[in-house]
Amino acid sequence: MVRAVHYLNQFFAGLGAEEAAETPPTRLDGPVGPGRGLAAELQGIEIVATLACGDDYFGEHEEDALAQLLELLEMERPELLIAGPAFGSGRYGFACARFSRTASDRLGIPALTAMHEENPGVAAVEGTLVAATAVNVAGMREALPRMARLAEALVSNRELGPPDEEGYLPRGFRRNRTAEKPGAERAVDLLLDKLAGETKTEVAGGFDRVPPPAPVPDLSTALLALVTEAGCVPQGNPDRLPTIRAQGWLRYELGRARTLAPGEYESVHGGFDVTFANEDPNRLVPLDTVTALAAEGRVGRIHDAFYTTTGNGTPVASATRFGREIAAELKDAGVEAVLLSGT
Amino acid sequence: MLAKEIERAGVPTVFVTSLPTIATMVGANRIVRGPAITHPFGLDETERRRIVERALAMLESDVEATTVWEVDPA
Amino acid sequence: MAWELASFPGGLMGDVPDLEGVRVDVVRGGDPVRITHVLDAVEPRVRPDGRAAFPVEDRAGEGRTNRLDGVVVLSCLDFPAEERPLHEQESVVDLAGPGAQLTPFAAGTNVVLTFDPRAGLGNEELEEWARTTTLAVAEELARRTLDAAPDDVERFELEPADESLPSIGAVMQLSDLGPLYYQFLYGVPVGRAGLPRAVDPAEVLDGAVTSGEYHWAGLRNPTIVFQRNTLVRALFLEHGRRLRFAGLVLMRGYEQTADDKQRAATAAAETVVALDAEGAVITTDAGGNSHTDVMLTVRACERAGVRTTAIVAEMADPGSTSSGLTDWVAEADSIVSAGNAEELVPSWTPDRVLGGDTLLDGTDATAAGPIPVRNYLGATNQTGQHALTATTW
Repeated sequence: MVRAVHYLNQFFAGLGAEEAAETPPTRLDGPVGPGRGLAAELQGIEIVATLACGDDYFGEHEEDALAQLLELLEMERPELLIAGPAFGSGRYGFACARFSRTASDRLGIPALTAMHEENPGVAAVEGTLVAATAVNVAGMREALPRMARLAEALVSNRELGPPDEEGYLPRGFRRNRTAEKPGAERAVDLLLDKLAGETKTEVAGGFDRVPPPAPVPDLSTALLALVTEAGCVPQGNPDRLPTIRAQGWLRYELGRARTLAPGEYESVHGGFDVTFANEDPNRLVPLDTVTALAAEGRVGRIHDAFYTTTGNGTPVASATRFGREIAAELKDAGVEAVLLSGT
Repeated sequence: MLAKEIERAGVPTVFVTSLPTIATMVGANRIVRGPAITHPFGLDETERRRIVERALAMLESDVEATTVWEVDPA
Repeated sequence: MAWELASFPGGLMGDVPDLEGVRVDVVRGGDPVRITHVLDAVEPRVRPDGRAAFPVEDRAGEGRTNRLDGVVVLSCLDFPAEERPLHEQESVVDLAGPGAQLTPFAAGTNVVLTFDPRAGLGNEELEEWARTTTLAVAEELARRTLDAAPDDVERFELEPADESLPSIGAVMQLSDLGPLYYQFLYGVPVGRAGLPRAVDPAEVLDGAVTSGEYHWAGLRNPTIVFQRNTLVRALFLEHGRRLRFAGLVLMRGYEQTADDKQRAATAAAETVVALDAEGAVITTDAGGNSHTDVMLTVRACERAGVRTTAIVAEMADPGSTSSGLTDWVAEADSIVSAGNAEELVPSWTPDRVLGGDTLLDGTDATAAGPIPVRNYLGATNQTGQHALTATTW
């Protein structure tokens, strides 16, 4: 029997919901929660232990969490790690992706994770096999057998078929197949569609582009969040957000504040003259305006925290990571629209 | 780039910045041009409201990739 | 100006004349045969009016031409010397096995001419001998059709069509990198043929373009690709239905300086505009910097108000997720993928090898390992001839 370890977050491991989100990495015997269903589906593979970690603990102490998890993982001498299914939960998906990736990279343990295609964690998988799932736990029944088949494929080194047949998220490898029509006819179709206003391509060039998400259907009922790269922080910069090459981002609760009062907030962005911003922090993060608009019914609700970093000199890789982490939190909080301010 | 990553997660995001060329280069899709680096939402509340309303309108609109909207002058 | 193409059954194929220094084999699709060192593929054609099937003087694309259906002549030659660096790449046609689907034109009868490099002849002389002989054989094989009745006659004519239909043109890239890398328009290397210019699309279908180019087997366009060109035929067919076929522009790829590339792209765009086309399909020949010419042409057309769809092959490392596009411009937002030329075709052992027993890399043709798609003649054809494409896994 192949030894596998299953990773779950605090909720699915039965340790509690949001109140347990700060739980550090923990080991549980055998399969737990959805792991039992997964174990029943697996053939030739045994879940010998379950590792669990609180989503917030992982998000806020990533390096520590990974170190502890890898240590716990190694002790089980596993031949496979299965993480999730995380469905649409951003922080959970992110943790699954990072744990899977590092388990493979640092310990050479094959890993499989599972989540919805729009989970922010997908952007962090970096080649790890991801079983596609529904966006929420209603998809558990379909997810488990799919994960089991893919786990068996990994372990037996079987060559995988196309993503849509096997139920995994495309990883970016280009593979040949025979289309229904010759390329010339497809070209005429594509060109006529393009002239009619619908541009599509069989191969994307250039830079990594994200297509614009669909517009917010009804802002008057939507949850809007404020995010800034302009380095707006509480007066005194208590958490020491760097003025340049920020190593992280911060979240600040707004409580019932309806404005960012001068003297209570300041900007620590090292790349511009912060005089105007400090005179009135709303000039960077327009809390007063959006709160007023919410009161008027133009916007549904304003998220009770704002996110801040300094966009000054941040390497692309870091900015990308910050964005994914923030996105994970926003998705989990049900945020439907974001107003982002830069310089 | 924050806007792109938040959009990658499927959340429509509007980026208010006085440097839209950089925003388009890094792949933000909904961009509103703010008046200045030092105060992308303007100086007074009236101007701020105009800019925010433009941004909200963009959140409610279908856009092609990397679209920049100006804020109409008062 | 109408042109008729009359199709005759392949069984009417004449006997191959005795040719000194040329070995002739006739094999069929499905036979366990691997053919190596393939230079060109040509469909047998002859004209009832006695004019040349591959004209160098008269205009093609008018009157009537006969074709033999399901027959192709393949020329093979192992160039013996390196008179100048020949960017040689192996060129294979497998009639069975996993590679057979990559060369659909070889599904029927294949008349394989293997040219024995004669002592004393240099590469260019050998090439000319092989090419002209192959074209002559292709014409000779079709001769019996002159006394027969066709199975089918297609008429190629662009009559006035509904003005509300979108006007669509095509820009076809031809290559000229000097000797051994020529494509010919009426026998003239395309670098000297006054390109870019518009031609009657039927000319291309009727033997005006022939190929003398021997690199990038999977990505280059052998003669048969022009004779049977799916894109031009599709545009003729759709004329009056979903579009108006505005016309065909031939342009040269592989311009040798950045300025020349840009000049050619701009001139091609202007020629397309002069056809009143609202959109154009842009095709590619071979690989490497010819893709830059294509992308610059895409950009020039888009800036001139002509929307474009380009057809290119990908060179994507199968183990990597990096883009396989050789070149790209932001305006190239509508691209047909002709497939990934870097993908490996699983090993296959033929019973018989024609052309040459040893591949260019020194391996035994019967025991070669996996061969990349780019070494199969016309496999990732960038005029959209075949249905091979790539998707993301």
